[in-house]
Amino acid sequence: MPITILPPKQTPQPSLPPHDIDSDSDSSSSNGGADLSLSPPSRKSHNNNNNNPLFTNLVTPGTLITPDPQWMRGHGTYIPPSHPHTIFSSLAGITTRTNKLISVTPLRSRYTPEVGDLVVGRIIEVQAKRWKVDINSTTLASLPLSAINLPGGILRKRTETDELQIRTFFSEGDLLVAEVQSLFQDGAAVLHTRSLKYGKLRNGLFVAVSGQSGGSGVVRSRRQVWTMEGRNGGGKMDVILGVNGYVWISKHVETIAKELEQKHMGITNMEENVSAGVYSSQNDGIDGGTMREMARLRGVVVALVENGCRVDEDMILRGYEEACEMALMMGEGGVEDVYLGGERGEELVRGLRGR
Amino acid sequence: MPLDTSTYGLALLRVDGRRWNELRRIHAQIRTQAAADGSSYLEMGHTKVMCVVTGPSEPGPRRGAAGGAAGGGGGAGGQSKDAEVVVNIVIAGFSSVDRKRRGRGDKRTLEMQSTLANTLAATLHTHLFPHSQINISLHVLSQDGSLLAALINAATLACVDAGIPMTDYVTACTAGSTSTYAANDEGADPLLDLNHQEEQELPGLTVATLGDSDRVVALVCESRVQISRLEGMLAVGVDGCKQVREILDQVIKAQGQKMILEGTVDKGTGLNDMDLD
Amino acid sequence: MAQQQQHVLLSPAELAYLHSSLSLTPPIRPDGRSATQFRPLSAETGILPGTNGSARVCFADGTEAIVGVKAEIERTKRRWDDDGVYRENAQQHQEQEGEGKEGEGQEGSGDWVELTVEIPGLRDDDSGTAFLGRMLGEALLADGGFVGRLRVNRRFHWKVFLDILLISPPLSYPLPLLSLTTHLALLATRLPKLKSEGDEDPFFDDDWAAARYLYARDPVTKKVVERPPVTLLVMAVGGNIIFDPSKEELAVADVALAVSIGDDATATKTKEDEMEVDSSSGRNLKLLSIRTVDPPSRLTPPGVANAANSAYGHAQVVNTAATQKMPEARQTESEAVEGVWKPPRGGAKASVMGALVQKVLVKGGVADEVLDALEGVDTS
Repeated sequence: MPITILPPKQTPQPSLPPHDIDSDSDSSSSNGGADLSLSPPSRKSHNNNNNNPLFTNLVTPGTLITPDPQWMRGHGTYIPPSHPHTIFSSLAGITTRTNKLISVTPLRSRYTPEVGDLVVGRIIEVQAKRWKVDINSTTLASLPLSAINLPGGILRKRTETDELQIRTFFSEGDLLVAEVQSLFQDGAAVLHTRSLKYGKLRNGLFVAVSGQSGGSGVVRSRRQVWTMEGRNGGGKMDVILGVNGYVWISKHVETIAKELEQKHMGITNMEENVSAGVYSSQNDGIDGGTMREMARLRGVVVALVENGCRVDEDMILRGYEEACEMALMMGEGGVEDVYLGGERGEELVRGLRGR
Repeated sequence: MPLDTSTYGLALLRVDGRRWNELRRIHAQIRTQAAADGSSYLEMGHTKVMCVVTGPSEPGPRRGAAGGAAGGGGGAGGQSKDAEVVVNIVIAGFSSVDRKRRGRGDKRTLEMQSTLANTLAATLHTHLFPHSQINISLHVLSQDGSLLAALINAATLACVDAGIPMTDYVTACTAGSTSTYAANDEGADPLLDLNHQEEQELPGLTVATLGDSDRVVALVCESRVQISRLEGMLAVGVDGCKQVREILDQVIKAQGQKMILEGTVDKGTGLNDMDLD
Repeated sequence: MAQQQQHVLLSPAELAYLHSSLSLTPPIRPDGRSATQFRPLSAETGILPGTNGSARVCFADGTEAIVGVKAEIERTKRRWDDDGVYRENAQQHQEQEGEGKEGEGQEGSGDWVELTVEIPGLRDDDSGTAFLGRMLGEALLADGGFVGRLRVNRRFHWKVFLDILLISPPLSYPLPLLSLTTHLALLATRLPKLKSEGDEDPFFDDDWAAARYLYARDPVTKKVVERPPVTLLVMAVGGNIIFDPSKEELAVADVALAVSIGDDATATKTKEDEMEVDSSSGRNLKLLSIRTVDPPSRLTPPGVANAANSAYGHAQVVNTAATQKMPEARQTESEAVEGVWKPPRGGAKASVMGALVQKVLVKGGVADEVLDALEGVDTS
């Protein structure tokens, strides 16, 4: 069926009939004002879920968290000038407590960079001595010219020639993987690619998954980069999960072994040879089988996100195996069938959750 | 006259069967659009409004005089120490009973954009995102009175959904008076939440408050009313805003609870939990 | 960011990969769909009770559009050759030269339809928006029969206002989404039942339940006799024809076309006697218009081959010699290097365009399935 038109999802009816609110209007107006109590105030409502212990840490903007001066406030909270020492929440989210620090993690927000994060970004702007990179955050990150490796492992100071030829390294639209080195005061990130595993990306395809904390998105797991074996005749694939929600799936290219073999060079020259091709925009040849498996993997990532699952190495590997099995069992085209959108994606996630 | 005074005096019921202090049916949803940072859909009676929030994100190219017609800007400029709130309202041609096309430069629309932007810029913690821009895009699908109030409520919901920190909910409501300007009528009642008919014929105002308190963030009154009636209308309006806040809060909480149950967010640690080492 | 959304930003390496992936047989699309498969979408009608007809369509990626149709009675302007039967064919070219869709004082009945498109972040008179409005309106008027349904009597007619709202920012080319939504809204549009007779001032039945559909349903089969037109986006890359391209796929297209198709009313009538059970083979489609779409691929910067890349392989002796000779200027213009992206040059071949149109129109093909699926949406 080439086109599937679905009826819209039923929206859950609000559990609060308006008349009840009106009959309470007189009494609730007398209750107006913040309660000064230790536990998050339970608002007068007819929803029994508010007393469920699972939800005690759910707060909304303007909710009082605590008036106790012993606590320090973190992200997502504020202290109004009129009530010093009382901490209020400024977000809809969950309170978290680390020793004496109270903060609120929002249910959903844009990616906020932290030092040490591995991110995938796209060059938006080329300026005099640096690039501006889009990392799906509130501001563009900057990548200074001094923070990249020169090809061939050369160690030297950047000259004016480098500045003039800045586009030979990265140009607008290029994708790269980098690490957050530091943060400006306003929260903007400064990136660097000073390692063999960072640099320009090629031989693959890109997926953007939205949401970061809370709402389905890429999580900070132990391994953000790994290589996996493709099934059904595909070759090895590299997966890079940027913490900012940008994912890169590519064909694994064995640069080191090939170069060493051909040139019979020693380990000391390895770095020179490996990084020789780091700014190349030319794809190596990729066979159809690998492309198909990469498309399948992309479908797995998107299906996980669309159905509210965490996206980390474990889930993706399991999801990929499940997808391969599904294709064998249910797909009309057998292993050729790669489609995982819509209902197929939901089936996939159900299968995963069932395990 | 929507309030045929004789009938109103007898049963104290308005044209749609409500009493003086009853809100219309409010239906609100968030996360209506998966691709946006924050989105919401709000119905106050027959006034239907959709809102989409993008941001905080990189500001677009500097808008000079040429782009001035595109939207009102609130707060400080884009390159300074605060985020800039940019509001864009699209009133669909089919929203009113008579089909009427409004261009982008319509003065009433521009004024509403500006009011909304200033209101939100005062409440959102824009100092946390310098050099960025928050884009709020509103679509009016159907109008039946209280348009500005519905827009403010929808924008608040969408900003909460987007995870933009704010001091508290900004909720808005309209209030009117049964007496006209000239009448010397002691028994005039203030009315809560005016529909289109009432808005056209009776004096009314739109008031927006901050959360549960009595602090007024925005007050718009374009009709003439006797000064003695104003306090009554304001009190009724502020009370209506508190009711609206309750309803909006429930919607947000329901979404949060759903996310906790599905496991997409952690249940978190609170004040009373055991010490973590 | 609004300006940047018009032009999707991809690196040359990604573009080269996408192009080779889509040129395989069968093409491997990034989201795994087959060449004729559309993205799943959810659709509903009748969401705005204040309008004559309304529809809302959402794609899975979040793009969303709402269309509302309102109709008002308008007095018909007297024409010289008024014989009570309006024919648009002679008027087509005149209308399409000027602002026919807005109907500002133009003769002819094309001005009984007014179509406006609103896209967030863009001005009203933005060229992209105006062009979209023209394409959608032209498909409707090219039908020939649409305007005839609006006639009440010799002195009055319905003026139909189509307001198309794109709710989400335009992430991908919005034409197919807007066209599908317009199609559904028109299918759901109802006009009040006429109670007056002849040429007297019209008055209508107050009972909305008695209102008749603008696109009449057959009383026996309950199916639409003649369906409104729909516009599809088709592209060709490397010998493959691909339907409903996403923005990444459009970025590597060789050719992209917006094809408008409608029911062939005359053919349908002759087949009535045969009582075809299978509707898809009983309907003939006709081509209403073709518009070429400039794919963003032409605006993309070309990739740089390794041989010409001065940032590639300084350590290797062979290349240093090559770069010193400065052959970059010549090499970028030469034949395509495998793995390096080159934006397409030149126009589309006539044979490719013919094949594209053929694939769209073939009976039981994609267009038929799309129209059938749309008909299946509940419009009561």
